[in-house]
Amino acid sequence: MTTTTAPAATTAAGKPLPRQPWNRHLLAIAVLTVLLIPLPLILPPAQASVAVRVLIFALMSIGWNMMSGFGGMFSFGHAAYFGIGAYAGGFLLVEHNVSPWIGMLVGMVIAAAFATLIGFLALRYKLRGAYFALATFAFAEMLRLWATNSEFVNRAVGYHVPLRPESSWWWMQFEPASANYFWIALGLTVIALVVSVQFVRSRAGQFTKAARDDEDAAAAVGIPVMRYKLLTMALSAAITAVAGAFYVQYFLFIDPDLAFGSSVSIQAILPAVIGGVATIWGPVIGAVVMGPLNDVTATILRNPPPALEFLQGRGGLDVIVYGALLIIIVLLLPQGIYGALRKRWSRR
Amino acid sequence: MRKTWTLSLALALPLALAACGGSAPAGTTNGGGGQSGGTIKIGSLHPLSGSSAADGQQMDNGAKLAVEAINDAGGIKSQGGKKLELVSADTQGKPEVGQSEAQRLIQEGAVGLVGTYQSAVSANVSTVAERNKVPFVIDVSSADSILAQGYKNTFRVQPSSTVLGTSGAQFLDQVSKAAGKPVKSVAILHEQGPFGTAVRDAFKAEAEKSGIKVGPAIAYDAASVSDLTTQVTQVKASGADVLMVAGYYRDGVLAAKAVDTVKPALNAVYGVANGAFDLPQFPKEVGAAGEGYFDANYHADMTKPDMQALAQLYQSKYNDAIRTGAVLAYDSVQVIAAALEKAGSAEPAKVRDAIASGEVPTLIAGPGTIKFGPTGENLNATPILMQVQGGAPKQVFPADKAEAQPVYPAFKSQ
Amino acid sequence: MTSTPDQDHVAAGNGGGVATLDPDELPTAATRTVPWLRIGVIAALIVVAIVLAYVRAGSGVVVVQAVTTGILIGGIYGLVAMGLTLIFGVLDIVNFAHGSFLALALFLTFGLTQAGLHVYLALAVSVPAMFLLGVLVQRGILAGAMGKPLENQLLITLGISLIIENALLLFFGANPRSVALSGDRGVPIFEAVANLSRILAFVGALLLAGLLYLLLQRTRLGTAIRAVAANDTGAQLVGIDTRVIYAVTFALGTACAGAAGTLVAPLVTIEPTTGSLFNIVAFVVVVLGGMGNVVGALVGGLIIGLAEQLGGIYLPGQSPLLSVFIVFVLVLFLRPQGLFRRSA
Repeated sequence: MTTTTAPAATTAAGKPLPRQPWNRHLLAIAVLTVLLIPLPLILPPAQASVAVRVLIFALMSIGWNMMSGFGGMFSFGHAAYFGIGAYAGGFLLVEHNVSPWIGMLVGMVIAAAFATLIGFLALRYKLRGAYFALATFAFAEMLRLWATNSEFVNRAVGYHVPLRPESSWWWMQFEPASANYFWIALGLTVIALVVSVQFVRSRAGQFTKAARDDEDAAAAVGIPVMRYKLLTMALSAAITAVAGAFYVQYFLFIDPDLAFGSSVSIQAILPAVIGGVATIWGPVIGAVVMGPLNDVTATILRNPPPALEFLQGRGGLDVIVYGALLIIIVLLLPQGIYGALRKRWSRR
Repeated sequence: MRKTWTLSLALALPLALAACGGSAPAGTTNGGGGQSGGTIKIGSLHPLSGSSAADGQQMDNGAKLAVEAINDAGGIKSQGGKKLELVSADTQGKPEVGQSEAQRLIQEGAVGLVGTYQSAVSANVSTVAERNKVPFVIDVSSADSILAQGYKNTFRVQPSSTVLGTSGAQFLDQVSKAAGKPVKSVAILHEQGPFGTAVRDAFKAEAEKSGIKVGPAIAYDAASVSDLTTQVTQVKASGADVLMVAGYYRDGVLAAKAVDTVKPALNAVYGVANGAFDLPQFPKEVGAAGEGYFDANYHADMTKPDMQALAQLYQSKYNDAIRTGAVLAYDSVQVIAAALEKAGSAEPAKVRDAIASGEVPTLIAGPGTIKFGPTGENLNATPILMQVQGGAPKQVFPADKAEAQPVYPAFKSQ
Repeated sequence: MTSTPDQDHVAAGNGGGVATLDPDELPTAATRTVPWLRIGVIAALIVVAIVLAYVRAGSGVVVVQAVTTGILIGGIYGLVAMGLTLIFGVLDIVNFAHGSFLALALFLTFGLTQAGLHVYLALAVSVPAMFLLGVLVQRGILAGAMGKPLENQLLITLGISLIIENALLLFFGANPRSVALSGDRGVPIFEAVANLSRILAFVGALLLAGLLYLLLQRTRLGTAIRAVAANDTGAQLVGIDTRVIYAVTFALGTACAGAAGTLVAPLVTIEPTTGSLFNIVAFVVVVLGGMGNVVGALVGGLIIGLAEQLGGIYLPGQSPLLSVFIVFVLVLFLRPQGLFRRSA
């Protein structure tokens, strides 16, 4: 992280000269989108469902990356925003029959407001690093415990999204193997990617990065650090809330552990770190690699090649392999896959 | 140079794995018979890893034994003796994984699913089953909400939380009256999740009907609790004569240890669908302190010879005592097999109709066969009362299922 | 290759403010004097909390029991958190695998007692074994990630914990196990009671905290560890081999997990996932006590134990953990460097 951001630090103090080819990023997004559109028509349903899961991962992590990568504020509590998005969608749909699209917007607003509140408190009391991370974690846990015991959101039972007799865009519900789910998730992810590109190249983004790299210097040249940090956090929370709101409509079920559990926070971090923190493409690449990894190890160990046959049918082995791969990837590519690739390209 | 090498290795590793995983025609090497085209597949979804792996593995084994038993008896006779094939999947206790695994099993041709232990996972798999119109037989997952969705393809063998709580209160009332010491007041200790809360509500409603005072009802977080001494002291201070406990294994043990330490003046500790009190390892773990503990729970009927045979088979094959979860999984596979027999077809929709209208004998103690009502609930699912006697759980009530007489008050010293 | 990670480590420490590494924040004299005022305030707050709980519960026995249980559980939380706080304070690693090391020690203890050893004698094996494992893990895996951002280390330790937990599952199966302490019984304390095994675990926590304190304050090794924690570049300049110190400190941390595992073995149901129960609370305790502060961890544990038990009385419908997090957030905002400044 320190090496990749060094150039940004020098430019940020004065004029924000974008060193990255932003339009090329946008072009890449457009090309990839077009390429991915036919994917669900090719994949069998089970793999298509993994593909949708990958997109949800990516979306969560794009949100996390904005606050913790570009903003430098390590969040270990993005489950809070994911859960708020999920619960806003589930609550409004089940209790008040409100369209999930509106629920998604409401969830984004609430999540952004909540992030601003946490951010204000944390910045006001100058929490940093691990302390900041644990504060965000504590807020997510408090939401989980509150939801578990609160009649208002149906306690630990959570919400089942009722099945509808026919497909409907307005209610975001289709046939189980419908490609529409993938397309919606793809659309949301693309929007989030474009937003993050635009954010990073904007004044706000440059100021935020400047404040990340040297807060005192940024404040000295007159950047209102607090305002930009809060803005970044709100945006980040809103994007992760979208992932939550979509999750409920796709999986048709939410409860406090699925929404606010600490494993959700880890899922938001994982793709970005594997792919490359503080890069546009990191979260996406990380999600594509890590999302199916679990299924892949499980598949291999279910039908092992002859050399590994003795391992068949032992519960837990697939998770061990997953854990080992996780360690290897993080150790070998500390800057993530995209970070490492970019370093190689720029050296040429 | 070195960097390049490690980079390409790290990139290639997952991709290579993905390629291997993708290229293997999944689910074809499992049967062992090598005639996968001629088998009928049933999917088994259980948590084979994670914190519920003990139960998940038991249940998967139970399902395997059922398939073996059916195949040994000549397969599905109405379909020319076709053999069954069990395709197992690990849900890891996670709904997302459960969902995509259910999707995969259906894609591989499973005509029915059994599972899944955790209510959150079952809720998810039930929507997958509903949308794909493939029958899903829940072996264990007690949350009432799963069958409250009006789904047509989800069935449950195990009794719901409400049935468990209601019958539990009735049994307590009857047993204590028969002993000449009717219960006056009950304190409740329950885990705060949907299961514990639903059991508490049903138990309280039914107990109050019989004029039993209920309170205090104390909740705890099963995932994080590490001591229940204070809670049991609250129970002691309340002067209740029975303590009802609804929870899982680990917290059940903690409750028993706390009762042993605090020694409240109770006539009985009474579990309702408690995950500890009716298991053989419970008396082993807490020792003499567990003697006399009741548990009103769905349970394998050890008075049936078939059940005794299954328990022996399980013991010899897996070197472990069979749990009721495994028996429920066994029964659930039998439900699907009976439907396949009856329908004379392996078409999921026909199998579903045959399940809905069929009746299947069960190894679980209860008043009759497995028979599903309009919501998919097993109409004959009721708990029986177990009590730890002489260091092992015994069936004690109702009388026709009893291996031994209930001892009430359960504790001699008071 | 040998010096760059350490350079990065300092940079990450300052930039992210991972621990209170800034030299001006490390008072050399103040750590030696006892912060009486702060202790007084905390004690007064605890007394008020107990009185309020009494008003709320209306039963003296329940409150006495809650306080007794709270203190005893708190000791266990402190015990688990001690190793974590050492690692946190010196290596700047958010060690997610701590609970799994604890679980490993639990299984080790179980195996030893099965072989006929008395529970507490198992300490003689579990502590050195876990120390050795700590050295191996640090040198083999974590050394390559020193000075990397917090999230990288978090994921690596997460991977380690997945491997340990599932390896235990693979080899021991998932059936719960238990270790019995022969002669375990309820011991009356005023109007309350507590299990002998809990009291012994509490005493063990006190002893361990004392030993660690002496080790850190009175030995050459301890001085070196504190020097590395304060400023690793500086420590290197005066001839301390930081790589050795990192490995030894991490190993001390896992050895603490080993001791904690053996001491709590009679109290818990032994399953591969048992250790992770303590993870969340242990992190909270570490922050409360101040990262790297062993005695602080013990005090933080006591506060959390009391908050959990008394909170159950204040907010009967809510999970006791909620009150733990409320206390935690308040402390974070009011005293972000922990209740006690680090002394490690």
